[in-house]
Amino acid sequence: MSDHKQPDLARREFLGRGAAAAAAGVVLAPGVMLYGVAQAKPADEPVSSKVRWGMLVDTSKCSNGCNACVDACNKEHGLGNETHSRDTQRTQYIRKVELRHKFTGATHSLPVMCQHCETPPCVDVCPTGASFKRADGIVLVDRHICIGCRYCMMACPYKARSFVHEALTDQRPHTPRGKGCVESCTMCVHRVDEGRQPACVEACAADGSHAIIFGDLNDPSSEIAQRVKTYASSEIRADLGLNTGVRYQGL
Amino acid sequence: MKNTKFMEIGSGKGFYGLLALLGVAILAGLSAFFYMEHTGHWVTGMDNQIVWGAPHVFAIFLIVAASGALNVASIGTVFGKKIYQPLARMSALLAVALLIGGLTVLVLDLGRPDRLIVAMTYYNFKSIFAWNIILYNGFLALVAVYIWTMLDPTVKKFYKLAGFAAFVWRLILTTGTGSIFGWLVARQAYDAAIFAPMFIVMSFSFGLAVFMLVMMATYSWTDRPLGDAVVRRLKNLLGVFVAGVLFFVMVYHLTNLYATEHHGVQAFILRDGGVFTQAFWIGQVLLGSLLPLALLYHPATGNSRFWIGIASALIILGGFAQLTVILIGGQAYPLVLFPGYEVSSSFADGVINSYSPSLPELVLGFSGIAIAMAMMVVGMRVLRMAPASLADEVADPHHGK
Amino acid sequence: MKRLLQLLSMAVLALTLSAPALAGEGGRTPLPSIPAAKGDQCVEDTAVMRRDHMKFLKHHRDATMHQGIRTEKYSLKACLECHAPVEGATAANGKTEEGHFCVNCHVYAGVTLDCFECHATKPETTAQFHPLVSPASAALKATERTDSTVLLNRLVGVSENKAGVAHE
Repeated sequence: MSDHKQPDLARREFLGRGAAAAAAGVVLAPGVMLYGVAQAKPADEPVSSKVRWGMLVDTSKCSNGCNACVDACNKEHGLGNETHSRDTQRTQYIRKVELRHKFTGATHSLPVMCQHCETPPCVDVCPTGASFKRADGIVLVDRHICIGCRYCMMACPYKARSFVHEALTDQRPHTPRGKGCVESCTMCVHRVDEGRQPACVEACAADGSHAIIFGDLNDPSSEIAQRVKTYASSEIRADLGLNTGVRYQGL
Repeated sequence: MKNTKFMEIGSGKGFYGLLALLGVAILAGLSAFFYMEHTGHWVTGMDNQIVWGAPHVFAIFLIVAASGALNVASIGTVFGKKIYQPLARMSALLAVALLIGGLTVLVLDLGRPDRLIVAMTYYNFKSIFAWNIILYNGFLALVAVYIWTMLDPTVKKFYKLAGFAAFVWRLILTTGTGSIFGWLVARQAYDAAIFAPMFIVMSFSFGLAVFMLVMMATYSWTDRPLGDAVVRRLKNLLGVFVAGVLFFVMVYHLTNLYATEHHGVQAFILRDGGVFTQAFWIGQVLLGSLLPLALLYHPATGNSRFWIGIASALIILGGFAQLTVILIGGQAYPLVLFPGYEVSSSFADGVINSYSPSLPELVLGFSGIAIAMAMMVVGMRVLRMAPASLADEVADPHHGK
Repeated sequence: MKRLLQLLSMAVLALTLSAPALAGEGGRTPLPSIPAAKGDQCVEDTAVMRRDHMKFLKHHRDATMHQGIRTEKYSLKACLECHAPVEGATAANGKTEEGHFCVNCHVYAGVTLDCFECHATKPETTAQFHPLVSPASAALKATERTDSTVLLNRLVGVSENKAGVAHE
């Protein structure tokens, strides 16, 4: 465990990042806003706890039947390549959930994935520390030390995790995944580290819905920070007090 | 009271026959393990909803029963009850055997059993699972020392200390086992502090039931005398434990029935859950608790070895039913992410999940029992574990008074 | 006499035919077949890499996984960029499943290699990025699947395949 220390903050250089991110929102055309996520960190720099990556899902913009985020996620991570597993055994990082209120009849459609909790139950229960949270708030499974006990799947309040039930081949190089380990949404960490947006966010925007935005919740000038400050948003299972990185608006 | 004379069990045809039978079961379990691990878990009944299945029911039963099996020894050593003292060696050996059997099943169901060493080299000390690994290993070590102090007169002065340490450790261990579920905030059926004490009483009950069967079988098959005093004392105690489990189960369900939040899961287990409801009412409550209680205390059956044996077997069956309800039933009921909403998705949100164990899972589970019993048989063969006689005049301190 | 000549010539012929194999493979000692890599120079000297590649990889793996350090030096992905079998080359020698640098050597040495249970065995081809580019891409994908399946099987059954390498 000792070699998995959180990054040493003193060593890091943050000068200018806030300013760069503040200037990153650019109006391309009326109504089309291009927000740079933040400038990509240098490849040799450890991630920092000054950043808290998060997503905000506006359920009023998310339509029933649209699966763009799910499709993009499956493509990005090479999911769905199981050949033997039953449907209930296949991996899903993100899924669309359709809601209908039993009393009022109100309906919502929204994507649910790993909520990237600040205090993730999966990390608490993992015996080996394979479930862990990066300094920037992204919750991941270190498959190198995952023993496949699946206790994290018991502990996750969002049912966000899947177990790989068979040997896999032809993985995407940026998403290693294989038999006997647990996996879940990585918030497209390989993209985020390059300063790109997660695949689901990109696909949702490309589809014209713009229902999911991604950004640094800790950066007051980011779009996501401004939105969660201005509008009411909620967490799923807010009663657990997990302070999730994924928040929902209009639910 | 005379000094108890301990003797190894004989090695006749029966011994080798039993060992061969257990060996076949163990080999079958190993084959099941290799098959499931080689092909992957898709050949099992488990999936992303029911992540812990039949192997875990067996494993947790054996682990819970293991700590309970030590009780007989603890009562003798820690509480100084003389009638239990001759049974202490068998009780401690059974505890070790059951724990190893249970852990074997648990470990062989891991997704990456080849990485078991990682569970020893990387520790997350916030994880109750990681603590359990320490608790299991510590239990094995402590009970081994405890057995040593009973076998070797030169270390007899540590007997009390070892017995006391093992007793305290086993209470912590079962608290840990119960907390595996009690600390799961995510799921409706778990997240209850009562799981820890409930598991302790369950361990008393299951462990003693297993011990009774093993003891009666051993004395019957080796033609050694087993007096009524010992049997009667143990079966009365067993009845108290069974009632204790029932009490905790009742409190757990009543508490949850009071909270509207939990009505859904309670209705599922108690009324609408199909096989789980049947497992609860018929398996756990009727066959596993009420019927054994009647058998143990009714004058017509309470003095019969046969019926006491049946009652013990029923308690074990009820234990499996109870753990099935807790483990599988608890997972079958969907997570409530959006209270008040009807939910549907491609990932089984809002759906009652079903589970049917595959043959390899069950074979692996039964092999855990076989491993425990094989260790017991071999242990009693090579070490002086079982008293040569448990006849009343030998075992009962009050005999003839 | 004629018969003797016949035998002699046969022996000479057999020796001649097997000579390149014996010489090229280091005489009677079986050696792993090591596919050539792209580029001239590895990130460290060959001797260092032979001895310490696993240390570099493990250190980098933890840094990448836990701290998001994504430098290319010592990253498995970068290893495979150079050491993965080039499509053409694999097709030419006709032994696609045995043309993997890492796997060949590990099978030869009898050291279990766990990386490719999860990691991609080769860098992504452009065909995978653009499935519409060429009609051959579909065929390519199909062969790739069998390639990596065979590769995985080879890794899992290291012992049984060890003999196979020795006979090469």
